[in-house]
Amino acid sequence: MELNFSPVHFIAVPLFAAFLLPLLGRVSQKLVTLVPGVVLLYLSVVAITLFPQAYDTPIVEIIAGWRPPFGITLVFGPLAAFLVTMITLIGFVVWLYSYRFIIREPLEKYYMLFMLLIAGSTGIILTGDIFNLFVFLEITAIAAYSLTAFLRDHNGAEAAFKYLLIGSFASAFVLLAIVILYANVGTLNMADIALRMGDVPDKIKLTIMILFIVGLGIEAELFPLNGWAPDAYSQAPSPIGAVFAGIVVKAAVYALMRVLFTLFDLPTSSHFLVVMGTITLLVAEMSAMRQQQIKRMLAFSSIGQMGLVLVAFGLGTKEGIAAALFLMFSHAVIKTMLFFSAGYLVFFSGHKNISDLEGMGREKPWTGFFFSLGALAIIGLPPFSGFWAKFYLLVSAANASHIFLIALILFSAIIEAVYYLRVVGRLYFKKFNDIEIRKTPFTGLLAMGILAIVTLVIGVYPDFIHELVLPAANELLDKAAYLQYAMIGQ
Amino acid sequence: MDQLLNIPAILAIAFAGSILVFITHSVFPKLRTAIILIFTILPAYLVWQLPADSGLVHFTLGGFDLSWGTNAYSRLFSLLIAGIGVLATIYSISFMKKRSRLGFFYLAFLTTISAMYGIVFSQDLLSLFFFWEIMTWASFLLVIYYSFEDQKAGIRYFVFSAIGAYSLLTAIVYLYSFTGDLSLAATFKVIPELDTTQITFITILFLLGFGVKSALMPVHVWAPDAYRSAPSPFTALFSGVLSKMGVFGMGLVLFKFMGGLEQGHIIREILAWLGGITALLATFYAIFQTDAKKLLAYSSIAQLGYITIGLAVGTPMSVMAAIFLALMHGIFKSMLFMGIGSVFLQTGSLDLNELTGLIRRMPLSFVTVLMGIITVAGVPPLGGFVGKWLLYESLITSEHYFLVAVTFISSTAAFLYLYRLIFSIFLGQEEKEFDHIKEVPWPMWVPMLILASLTMLTGLMPGLFFEPIAEAMKFLGFQQVNWEMSVLFNTWGNQIDLLAMSTSIFSVFLLGLAFITWKNYKTTRYVTTKDIHTSGEIPTENENLTYAVDFYRPFERAAAPVFKYKVTHFYESFAENAEHLFDLLRHVYTGNAQTYALYVVIFLVLLIVFSGWIFGIQI
Repeated sequence: MELNFSPVHFIAVPLFAAFLLPLLGRVSQKLVTLVPGVVLLYLSVVAITLFPQAYDTPIVEIIAGWRPPFGITLVFGPLAAFLVTMITLIGFVVWLYSYRFIIREPLEKYYMLFMLLIAGSTGIILTGDIFNLFVFLEITAIAAYSLTAFLRDHNGAEAAFKYLLIGSFASAFVLLAIVILYANVGTLNMADIALRMGDVPDKIKLTIMILFIVGLGIEAELFPLNGWAPDAYSQAPSPIGAVFAGIVVKAAVYALMRVLFTLFDLPTSSHFLVVMGTITLLVAEMSAMRQQQIKRMLAFSSIGQMGLVLVAFGLGTKEGIAAALFLMFSHAVIKTMLFFSAGYLVFFSGHKNISDLEGMGREKPWTGFFFSLGALAIIGLPPFSGFWAKFYLLVSAANASHIFLIALILFSAIIEAVYYLRVVGRLYFKKFNDIEIRKTPFTGLLAMGILAIVTLVIGVYPDFIHELVLPAANELLDKAAYLQYAMIGQ
Repeated sequence: MDQLLNIPAILAIAFAGSILVFITHSVFPKLRTAIILIFTILPAYLVWQLPADSGLVHFTLGGFDLSWGTNAYSRLFSLLIAGIGVLATIYSISFMKKRSRLGFFYLAFLTTISAMYGIVFSQDLLSLFFFWEIMTWASFLLVIYYSFEDQKAGIRYFVFSAIGAYSLLTAIVYLYSFTGDLSLAATFKVIPELDTTQITFITILFLLGFGVKSALMPVHVWAPDAYRSAPSPFTALFSGVLSKMGVFGMGLVLFKFMGGLEQGHIIREILAWLGGITALLATFYAIFQTDAKKLLAYSSIAQLGYITIGLAVGTPMSVMAAIFLALMHGIFKSMLFMGIGSVFLQTGSLDLNELTGLIRRMPLSFVTVLMGIITVAGVPPLGGFVGKWLLYESLITSEHYFLVAVTFISSTAAFLYLYRLIFSIFLGQEEKEFDHIKEVPWPMWVPMLILASLTMLTGLMPGLFFEPIAEAMKFLGFQQVNWEMSVLFNTWGNQIDLLAMSTSIFSVFLLGLAFITWKNYKTTRYVTTKDIHTSGEIPTENENLTYAVDFYRPFERAAAPVFKYKVTHFYESFAENAEHLFDLLRHVYTGNAQTYALYVVIFLVLLIVFSGWIFGIQI
């Protein structure tokens, strides 16, 4: 049987499944929980199959026969392949965890929105058309807003409202930027825009770039645009928190970087990125230390790590970008695992505050173990993947002679160590004697186990990922090559 | 060629052992003990078999060129790790018998040992750092093993370790960006290409990194609580071996890295003085302690101070003294912690005010602690004397007279706390509550006595250690150091024949003992406890009135003004202020959606208004 895989599947299949799920819900709830898993498994297979091909020659898929620059293209190069594969694998693990975790609400709503998130995020990464990017941003955002309020409690509604409010700014600014851009270059295809950017007057170019930075920066959790993030991450259900941290924000960062690197000349914004990234990192880590609630602490930690990613991108060198991608991967895996274990800790103890989680490590040994492992990994300790990510970043920074930056990054690492290890310490001491504890679902443990194994394997043998991120970094930097293969038909 | 494979094999076996124990610990308890023993003794044996100068194992990982191998210097430390590691593990099996969470304990314990092997076998900076960090978190897990209150000690330990480790990382990354080569060999040759500020910067970073682990003042504050909180078998390893990793690193930095530097002597002088202050102050702090483990912890810090002085002074004899003291400290400190640990296991207490009169109940522990004390004091005929003598002589011949005074004062003051330790625990009058105490089982006293006999051996025949140390020093760049099996030379041509001296001391002592016993045997009588008189006050039942309580009260009162300002207070207030600052910062996230929207708009406006300054083009 000839399986004709194409990058369109990444978007079409989850989209189709999303709309199918409510119908299936009338037939059987069981189907509703299983179908997303099947979808994500299928997408993972597609991703892995297309992977070698994408690294060899990027796959460019034309939608509906309209050739660029009039139609929409999907560009599946090394960068897209890396990120999409990461998203599908994380998505699969999230499904595994959600399988037994989400039991209250009508399940169709949850899984439908989840599928929309996946479709939207992969769409952002795959698309070669800027307005299409906006469309997928919107799809992702709407699904995200809804899922934030999923638990239907007061806090969730408030968090969703904040997200919605700030997210609307993002949408508005991005749309405005696209409008001005279209008015000046007359095309929506990103490769074509890149070719014609030279003709646009400087001031207009800068205005567009600033609008993009603010608009996409809101989604990418740049300081001071990330106020919505702590609330959204902590009030959404834990698997969704993991999706936000592991998938959505990665897509948003990708969008920002694609716009900055491919459409504009980065050097004008690189110091800006490094500085803003550092500020994001420092403010987030310092705030994280003062948090009382565990999921809010994890949210701030996520923001901080994204700041680190932005710094790495801002360095602008090939190894800097490779480090950024490695960091994104490592963070996605570890943060997901942390959200999963924190989710169980909060759920089974009934408390959100760290001080009330005392002794949970003894009640739920595996969950506690995975949390501790995640804590050690995200601080950047060997032999986990976070160590290599940080090391690559520091080497890139040293090569660019940013010694003060290195000091600041390591300072924030120390702060991270303190607040994570405080939680780890609390988990294991004192007896937890509140309510009776039920058994942890096996699927959740399996999900966390898979992530733990991944981070350990990459930590001991980083070459797996290192060899993949270098070509991906190259793609982002090498504008000429991108234009060459994305502009087929011109 | 197959010799080269030994190092990866050793590390693989050691790490596999720790993971294996963790996985199987609840399944087969008997099997667990066997696994622990196999996976500790086998690597130790392989380490013993390693030749002094094996080649390098090269491989690439993550785009970096790494290399592992040994040299005489590494081999010395690896033997220390192997020896103390095996003995501490055997001791721990018996010590931890009835405790919980043993899988976790042994995972961390064996991982620490494996990581230490990794450190000494690393021949490139990245591997060194990789294993250094693993060692840090594994030991952290053991510091927080017991209870919640220890968590603070653990985090303090981790933060200071992290400061040290990240200083190392900064230096490594900086050097790598400069040379493009991570190997130690390349690092040692880089000095001529750097300018003075760069060299100072890197050296300070390296020394900070290694100094934290060696509990040098002022970055020593983590040590007393960390040593206290960790379980005793691990403290034996912690204090005995882990701190030597810092010494290992310092040796590399001071001699291989900074070796040819003329301005190096300024840094060395400062380091020597820091060592001296450490030794002096730590000794005094030890005198104040009433907790046996904390007392030993401060004693360790003081000993590490001596070692630092020896390394920093840099003459062949002082370095020989330093490394010899390092090895001796590994032996006698482990021994002391094991002995105290035995007491803790049997009595449940480490409080010097509570314990008393255990000499008849725990004679083997007594002998261990006694030998330990004599060695620490630097009194013949045990090994400590040799080390101290070498140190004094090297300081005098290199004209560091003031340091001689400092070392002498602290060495002598050490008698105070050492005597208190043995008196409070073992001597004095027996209490009824300790009547049921028995000696510890053999897996515990055998390692202790092995170490005790080692101290005696090195006291009589220090040449046993001198040979490997001399080889190690050749690696560091020193010429042949003059030594001989059991005779100490000094620069004025005198010599002491240790064997003859010790034999004579022993014989005199034994004869005297025999004489006194024979003379007074018939007139011995037993003394009742609590033959105490009070005037006016009737002491309550639980008030401890043995002689050892508040032993050094007058001294503490006299010295109190000097010790009012502790560097711990500085660190704590710094941390507190930092947390206040962080709290102020976090209020940026007001929780009010309108505020966030305002931030967005203000940010956009600022970007547009200042676009000229930020991006180069003004809108």
